[in-house]
Amino acid sequence: MLVALMLAAVTALLAGLEPAPASAWRHLYFVPVIVAAVRYGVAGGVLAGLGAVLLSGPFVLSEIEHAPSPRAVVDGCVSFAVLLAGGAVTGSLAARAARQRRRYEALLAAQRAVAEPAPLAIVLGRLRAVLENRLAADRLGLVAVDTHGVTVCGADRLDRASLAARVIESGEPAFLPDTGHERRACRVLVVPLTAGGVTVGALALERHSDIAREERDAVAGLAAALGLALENARLAARQRRFGDELERKVAEATKRLAEMDRLKSELVALASHELRTPLTAIQGFSELLATRSFSLPEVRRVADIMRAETERLGRIVADFLDIARLERGLPLALRVARLDPAPVIADAVEVFRRTRTSHRLELHLDGALPHIDADADALDRVLKNLISNALKYSPAGSCIHVRARSARGGVVVDVEDEGPGVAVDDLTRIFEPYYRAPSTARLERGTGLGLAVVKSLVEAHGGTIRAERAAGCGTRMTFVIPAVS
Amino acid sequence: MRPDVYALSAPDAIARRPLLEGTPSTLLGVLALAASSAWGLCAAEVLSAPLARAVAAGAAQGALMATAVGWTIESQERARPIWAAGAAIVALVGAIGAALSPLGAIAYLLAPLWFWRRRARLPALGLRSPYPARLTAIGVALGAVLGAHLTITASLTLGYRVGWPALLTLLPWLGYDLGANVLAAECFFRGALFDRAQRRWSFAAAAAVTTGTCLARYLADPLLPRTLEVAAGAAFYIGLLSVGNCWLYWRSGSVVPGLAAGVVFFIVYRLLHVVR
Repeated sequence: MLVALMLAAVTALLAGLEPAPASAWRHLYFVPVIVAAVRYGVAGGVLAGLGAVLLSGPFVLSEIEHAPSPRAVVDGCVSFAVLLAGGAVTGSLAARAARQRRRYEALLAAQRAVAEPAPLAIVLGRLRAVLENRLAADRLGLVAVDTHGVTVCGADRLDRASLAARVIESGEPAFLPDTGHERRACRVLVVPLTAGGVTVGALALERHSDIAREERDAVAGLAAALGLALENARLAARQRRFGDELERKVAEATKRLAEMDRLKSELVALASHELRTPLTAIQGFSELLATRSFSLPEVRRVADIMRAETERLGRIVADFLDIARLERGLPLALRVARLDPAPVIADAVEVFRRTRTSHRLELHLDGALPHIDADADALDRVLKNLISNALKYSPAGSCIHVRARSARGGVVVDVEDEGPGVAVDDLTRIFEPYYRAPSTARLERGTGLGLAVVKSLVEAHGGTIRAERAAGCGTRMTFVIPAVS
Repeated sequence: MRPDVYALSAPDAIARRPLLEGTPSTLLGVLALAASSAWGLCAAEVLSAPLARAVAAGAAQGALMATAVGWTIESQERARPIWAAGAAIVALVGAIGAALSPLGAIAYLLAPLWFWRRRARLPALGLRSPYPARLTAIGVALGAVLGAHLTITASLTLGYRVGWPALLTLLPWLGYDLGANVLAAECFFRGALFDRAQRRWSFAAAAAVTTGTCLARYLADPLLPRTLEVAAGAAFYIGLLSVGNCWLYWRSGSVVPGLAAGVVFFIVYRLLHVVR
């Protein structure tokens, strides 16, 4: 509007000066032309120049008509040419300066967009919103490529045969004058995003107006800076991810340490109690023997009790020693020899049958068992531990089933009770050292080491052990020791 | 919903059509033969001069329209030669009709009707909706400004004066401008030539090629008075009109704004009839 008013004012002035020589005054048209060129670039400069030519035309032609001479014609033509050229050149310089400014502004805005931590897809979305406006794009797309895959913004996916895919592969910019799919011609410019000489993505710019060579070079330069900014953002994001992961792991480890600490404290209290019970019995009976006279059968009975308590004490100490070895990463000390497991199993069951008459113990040996390479004492310990547990956690009068058979390339032994059973969630955890299932811990005292030692012993023989709920009720512990091949 | 970015989502397999693909060469040969035959027959005094001029002018306009149809019709269309011939025939019928009687100039309106009925098959002309209303208004303004400037400048200088023509003199010219002159120019120079050029080169290059060709067509027109100032004026105003119409087509993808600009320019030019 300002330019139009200025053009009109100059024209009115020239019209008022008629018929005085207007040549010098025509230079006043330069003012609106320069203003338009500075404000609106080449198009503004040329249009204002053209407007000035159209408006001054009648005056120039009138001069030529009144004084027809080559000089007047040249003067008029030079006036027109200077107005048009002045508008075009000034507009071009102004446009170049504006492009430079926009480029720096775009770079700054892009850096702000990637600076804020967010997942890559969101960062690309932000960048797209910023650049679409700054680069006057009708459509703008971004692709980021890394070892995890391709992140695309501006389309559902990256077509393998697309122009952007080709640019990412070649690392060279590509320009297409028209997509050929629209009513209006649509220019396409795709430039690689690079960081440290490596192509990390691509920027695709689509516009229904021209993308001049100079602008294409500027966009390529911008893309190089964007690639670097994007890579930095990605590295920062990765660092943050590592930091978060480390923090989570430290928190988990701290929690586990606190849990271990709590369990060990409980264990110390428990162990003191577990050790004190047999010691008290041994101490009491030994004092009785020392201070009183007993008949021979009574002495034997007291001696049996003292031996049983001593054995119990020995088992507890052995469990602690084994766990201590395992925690230090040392193997269990085994004396492996080839043996027939049937007698070992039968002896273990028989010991409990004689001493624990509150339960029924049934042994099922399904056919001949193959020989195994095992430590007989360790196998005996495994069996006694499992049977002892079954007795502890099942009601009096119930039946404990011990089954042994040849299967799965080894000897499979089941110890099944008719107790309340272990909760499903605890079936795997009961083999962890110091862990006691909440449902059974309140029924019987214990160190929480027995099953951990059993598992270590079975695995030391190359076998496996698992716990499951028995059909109906109760728990079934099954271990397998490989047969001699 | 925003459309996907072409460069990401579509296979890059554009087969660019040759610049002159679809040119109805045989038909152009036939039209050239018809024009030269008419002049020959006129020289031999077999055909009257006005009729010979009408055949030649109709052949020239028909050639432009036929080429525009050949270039802009959908590529898979097999009826391309027939359609091109149809466009040439309606141009010839208009010219001959106008030559036979002043009211026969109504026959010029056959060509716009013919194009209007086939607008769906000529997508590059952009004759289908949505119509660019704003750019059409700009086209009307452009045509009015240039036409007014031409007549004012001419009336103020070089001894030309502005007059009002008689209606019977004006109507054939309006029919000619509407149904032949402007229609053929816009369909060929903008809808066909500029459309193909802008899909290969920048706007400036495409507009320069189109305007150069357009100027050549008008300067070679036998109807243009052979004086320096008229030729210079024609080059200046037709050049500006052509560049303006190229810009309008570039922005809209339709010849409608250019048609509006051209028709208004020539109406103003004819209304303010310049006499010496």
